[in-house]
Amino acid sequence: MFKTNSQRNEELDRIGKLVLRSAAAQEEDTEAAASSPFLFTRVRAAIAAEQRLQEEAGSWLSMILVARRAVPAMALVATLAAILTVWSAGPAPAQGDEEALFGMPDAGVEQTVLASRGLSRDDVFNIVVDRTYEVKGK
Amino acid sequence: MDSFAESTDDVLVAAAATGDESAFEQLFERHRRQVARIGGRFFAQREQIEEIIQDSFTKAYFALNTYHGTHAASFKAWLAQITVNCCYDHLRRARRRPEQGIDDLEEGGSQEFAAWLRSHPPDVETRLISRDLASKLLSRLSADDRLVLTLLDVEGFSVAEIAEVTNWSISKVKVRAHRARAHLRRVLQRYV
Repeated sequence: MFKTNSQRNEELDRIGKLVLRSAAAQEEDTEAAASSPFLFTRVRAAIAAEQRLQEEAGSWLSMILVARRAVPAMALVATLAAILTVWSAGPAPAQGDEEALFGMPDAGVEQTVLASRGLSRDDVFNIVVDRTYEVKGK
Repeated sequence: MDSFAESTDDVLVAAAATGDESAFEQLFERHRRQVARIGGRFFAQREQIEEIIQDSFTKAYFALNTYHGTHAASFKAWLAQITVNCCYDHLRRARRRPEQGIDDLEEGGSQEFAAWLRSHPPDVETRLISRDLASKLLSRLSADDRLVLTLLDVEGFSVAEIAEVTNWSISKVKVRAHRARAHLRRVLQRYV
């Protein structure tokens, strides 16, 4: 009357096999699926879509790779730029008040003209101030 | 495509790998039934089987460069391996979003199954239960359990063949099969 454990397990295994076989598709269903129209067209479309995805992923990847390769060069350029900035912003040579007043120091042509006439910068300054007064006086 | 009608699978694979679409189409024509048959072991709906065919051939296309045929049946075996893996992926996805809740089985399904068992003793192996009910019962198994039991009991694979197809070790297949069978027994025990 009472079944032993192994008998019961065998019975359950038999039912299990039946359940597994019942869940499978029938022959006609698999045949219908295999002969479905446009199935290869769908496969081709899936391949094309996958290729597009891979290409997109590939272009991003190549961009990242190029960027990674460019990092040392960019770092070198940045370092050089920083060095140049620091160097050019270093302590400027001492300049007199006159130079500040007259503008650009060592303006080549001006210096040549002044030197040839024997005029000092003070003389030039006085001439300019006098002329201004004369004009205002008139 | 006719130019490849007499070619071996390995020749077709070599041509398809260089981008020859007609060679790949010839491979598709030759092996689509085999892929459908494997898909049909795991899924009953026609749409599901079509999806398996589509995914398997798409994966095969991108893996053509990894195929190194050595004998006549090797492409078939290689494609079967891809198809089984595809089915496994689909089983896992289906398990993540179960469309048929377990409650469905608790309600009408359990009565239907009990009635079937009463009217058809288990030794009458020719009589199958409804596909829908069987799918509901099997939805309680994990993808691994379902895969190994289907390959053993429906497809008739040996442990070694399953190990080859799934890339699992032989001992893993044995352990998995033992656990899967025990799990299925526990599921069925409630109704028998």
